[in-house]
Amino acid sequence: MELTEALANTKKEVLSRWIERTLDSYTSPGFFKKSKDPFANPVGSNISSGLTEVFDLLLAGADQQAYLAPLDRVVRIRAVQDFTPAQAVAPLLELKWVVKQVLSSGKETKPLLSQLDNLDCEIDRIALAAFNIYCECREQLYRNRINELKSGRSILTDAACPSAVMRQELNNPGPNAGV
Amino acid sequence: MAVVKVDMLARSVAEGPSLMTGSIPTKDWMDVPVVFKPGNYAYPTKPEKLRYLDSQQGLSFPNAREWNPEDDDWKLPDNWKEIILQGIADRLDKFRSLKIFMDCCVRCGACADKCHFFLGTGDPKNMPVLRAELLRSVYRQNFTRAGKILGKLVGGREMTVGVLKEWFMYAYQCTECRRCSVFCPYGIDTAEITMMLRELLHLVGIGINWAMEPASNSNRTGNHMGLTPQAFKGNVEFLCDDIENLTGVRVNPTFNRKGAEVLFITPSADVFAEPGIFTCMGYLLLFEAIGLDYTWSTYASEGGNFGLFTNNELMKKLNAKMYAEAKRLGVRWILGGECGHMWRVLHQYMDTMNGPADFLEVPRSPITGTVFDNAKSTKMIHISEFTADLIKNNKIKLDKSRNAHVKATFHDSCNPARAMGLLDEPRYVLDHVVDNWVEMPENTIREKTFCCGSGTALNTDEIMEIRMRSGLPRANAVKYVHDKHDVNTLACVCAIDRATLTTLMNYWVPEVQVAGLSELVGNALVIEGEQRQDLTEGLRTLV
Repeated sequence: MELTEALANTKKEVLSRWIERTLDSYTSPGFFKKSKDPFANPVGSNISSGLTEVFDLLLAGADQQAYLAPLDRVVRIRAVQDFTPAQAVAPLLELKWVVKQVLSSGKETKPLLSQLDNLDCEIDRIALAAFNIYCECREQLYRNRINELKSGRSILTDAACPSAVMRQELNNPGPNAGV
Repeated sequence: MAVVKVDMLARSVAEGPSLMTGSIPTKDWMDVPVVFKPGNYAYPTKPEKLRYLDSQQGLSFPNAREWNPEDDDWKLPDNWKEIILQGIADRLDKFRSLKIFMDCCVRCGACADKCHFFLGTGDPKNMPVLRAELLRSVYRQNFTRAGKILGKLVGGREMTVGVLKEWFMYAYQCTECRRCSVFCPYGIDTAEITMMLRELLHLVGIGINWAMEPASNSNRTGNHMGLTPQAFKGNVEFLCDDIENLTGVRVNPTFNRKGAEVLFITPSADVFAEPGIFTCMGYLLLFEAIGLDYTWSTYASEGGNFGLFTNNELMKKLNAKMYAEAKRLGVRWILGGECGHMWRVLHQYMDTMNGPADFLEVPRSPITGTVFDNAKSTKMIHISEFTADLIKNNKIKLDKSRNAHVKATFHDSCNPARAMGLLDEPRYVLDHVVDNWVEMPENTIREKTFCCGSGTALNTDEIMEIRMRSGLPRANAVKYVHDKHDVNTLACVCAIDRATLTTLMNYWVPEVQVAGLSELVGNALVIEGEQRQDLTEGLRTLV
């Protein structure tokens, strides 16, 4: 059996394990796994659909560019959650482990374990692309902070009370007093 | 007493080696301590702000000090535990709702997956039921017979510094949006539980600066920004100059004018920060078009009431300021701008705190003659109600083609939607000012609307990650209508929304801009004698 064929045949199981493990990185993932409503459960559904699309693209031998949208869907979420950078993109690399687990459990697919070098390489590339997206997301986060500060909202926390300043100046005349 | 099932709600099992380990719970939720690190807490109140507020009549904000959430020692007063337990006792006595909310929850879990903080984090303590349990466990231990005898067996626990720290973490990961309450079969208002947690924390000097400094500014100069009367007036006049450049219409608003028919109060962000200023230009144009006899106040120069996020005494004081000013100026009624929580305070607490406002008249539109009986008690109506009535009575001329650049969707701001039932008026206005707008999915709008994620004074930049993840459910629905219908504008009726949804969109759906509803009205408004330039982006056009 060819590797691609084996992956296509085991797609359901690979995806189910992969998504399950990814969602297990949340403290209380029951709802994320269960609810299929994309609006009631944005984390679970975006991660499920994103990973599914990534796997489909992998089977189709897609161009690197094609991975960006589904990867963005997954990584943009994890980039603002309570994960280290490594934990945020780890699910992509974990696909290797999941594929090995699934293939090693079947008699026909077990021999294919020695042919995974190219797939592993491809998954590494996907993970690196995910890391790029992660960094872009973090940069956007800091740009957001700067934008808010520049928009003048910082005055909220830095405003001096004019009458208090005046009172202070009257009480403590500095070198420029009366100028 | 109901059996505690919340720990089951919070548990999960995972097997196998993982690169992502670290967050799988192995302990009961009560035994997982909170850890403060940069980015997961808002900065504490500056001591001088707290001292100022504490010095004000009718307010009490004791124990001002420098402290850092990351330190082990929060420099609590020696008798902090006594203060907290007495604080709970006082509030159980004073607020019947709190007593009921503490007792009646059966932990059915209906609220568990409705909170945007839980949906964005997967953290069980962000389930409303568990967030309330943080207080309820202490209540049970100290104020119920079963809890006093059986303690942990019936879900009770000792009040410790660890519990106090947990309160601070999670009382400030709730925006009091009340989406969970919509789904609660008992109608428990989790926002009020958060309010109580925040009040209790203030008793020992624990609070966040982003709530307290605006509240302190508001108490002093009349608005969050601390703008002086001169600066406030100057800002509005700048906007009038902009309006003249864009439309050829000269608007001359008045300030602190005694004897005006109407007092107009809006969030100060509308006269100060983008994109609120475009909404403000919309108000100014509308009032000019209909010749409304109104005045601004440079003292009641803030609709927002950060007291709501602080404690009930401060909320009462800031709300009273609007009415004191209405009385001083001798107006007949008050017109309120696009604000969020001002309306929650007004509709749900005003009467008990400061009402009835019997020195004012029931609002009656001088243009259409419509009497707003719904505001019989508060004497204050929302700009969307007022505008919808003008449109319905054909009193303003609107040209939708002036909003041709807009493909809109509407975000129901939590407080106007859930706390005052303002659901159809903004939609009616939108129908008449834009050609094209679409609704987001059913379970993300109207009463079930998702919060912007930054309400209740959480709109500060140091917790940007928290804001982005808690805003995900909202942004996710916007992304859907953007992808499917090319939506490029998110319309709303709240100043915090205008500011924070802009930031949220920049992260999740950068193609979508945020606009106040009155900005879209201002874009479409046809005024006699105008010499309008070709405004391809409405009032935002740079000319």
